[in-house]
Amino acid sequence: MKLKIAIYWGAACGGCDVAILDTHEKLLEIADMADIYLWPIAMDFKYSDVRAMKDKYLDAVLFSGGVRNSENEEIALLLRRKAKTMIALGACAHLGGVPGLANMYTREDIMNRVYLESESIDNQGKTLPLENTRVDGHDLELPRFYNVVKTLSQVVDVDYTIPGCPPASLQIYSALGLIADDMLPKTGSVIGAGDRALCDECPRKKGEKTITRIYRTHEKLPDAETCFLEQGFICLGPATRSGCGSRCIKSWTPCRGCYGPLDDVSDQGIKMLSALASVLEPKEEREINAILDTVVDPLRTFHRFSLASSMLRRRKA
Amino acid sequence: MKRIAIDPITRLEGHGKIMIFLNEQGAVDNAYLQIPELRGFEKFVEGLPVEEIPRVVTRICGV
Repeated sequence: MKLKIAIYWGAACGGCDVAILDTHEKLLEIADMADIYLWPIAMDFKYSDVRAMKDKYLDAVLFSGGVRNSENEEIALLLRRKAKTMIALGACAHLGGVPGLANMYTREDIMNRVYLESESIDNQGKTLPLENTRVDGHDLELPRFYNVVKTLSQVVDVDYTIPGCPPASLQIYSALGLIADDMLPKTGSVIGAGDRALCDECPRKKGEKTITRIYRTHEKLPDAETCFLEQGFICLGPATRSGCGSRCIKSWTPCRGCYGPLDDVSDQGIKMLSALASVLEPKEEREINAILDTVVDPLRTFHRFSLASSMLRRRKA
Repeated sequence: MKRIAIDPITRLEGHGKIMIFLNEQGAVDNAYLQIPELRGFEKFVEGLPVEEIPRVVTRICGV
């Protein structure tokens, strides 16, 4: 029997949807495997169609994007009710992703920057989006913009996670195959990824790491074959799950951790800090601190994709 | 006054809805395009090391 699936985006960029489309001719196999009942980027279904479904009508929902506002949350709750299996697709649903970096700021900081202070805006009336407003006698509503970005699992029960920013297309395809073949592992598992650190699949050569200096990428041309971290470039490989195919590494770019932490690691950024501290050459605390102090913007380096799911999670209001 | 909601608008990158208000004669009195999504890249890229900007702002739109 064909699967019934829905594909949705919360606070997302559409990259996960495009990763599904990037399965190319395998998209035809996905179409053989499943009928799609909601996919805003590609098909014309409405929220009212979903509301009209019986509970648990859908076999699976692929939900990309974080939960940034009340509409994201409302649709996440709605789809959870209609789905037998809820899958967090991509780094934003999984960890908050890049939009989760907004948790460094308050709701007001963001509203003011975007609608009042932006260099490209002319807003002399200082108009801000309102949840309820009346224009020419018509009542209009917008979602509530939350003070914090939440991951999908902070809002609804998530059965499986397909990590990545974006997830590798063939990994999405193989994960859908697991659903179709009723081969899903135990609930809560990460699917469509490896279970080791990225370093284990990285093609660069690894030796003894004794870092004496941190380099930014413009400060030195990296050697073509050696591990980035060994050369002093911060690379999140040791703290990141494998499965991406080392896409960034092969493009001469150190990892920033989009596949998230390995099993049993709750905070990827702190894990990476710990890994970095262990490969520094000096053993004296003062010298170690002197090197670590040269890391520019540690928060957005170590928690690039995972701030909203980390222990830090958000700025204190 | 009768309201028609087109929610969400589809087959595009991003979020949107259209609200249409009809008068007593059933003609369109007014229609509004609303964008219910905001992430705030304008704010959270401030102060980011310049060499990291390309791989952050590519997440504004992945289409």
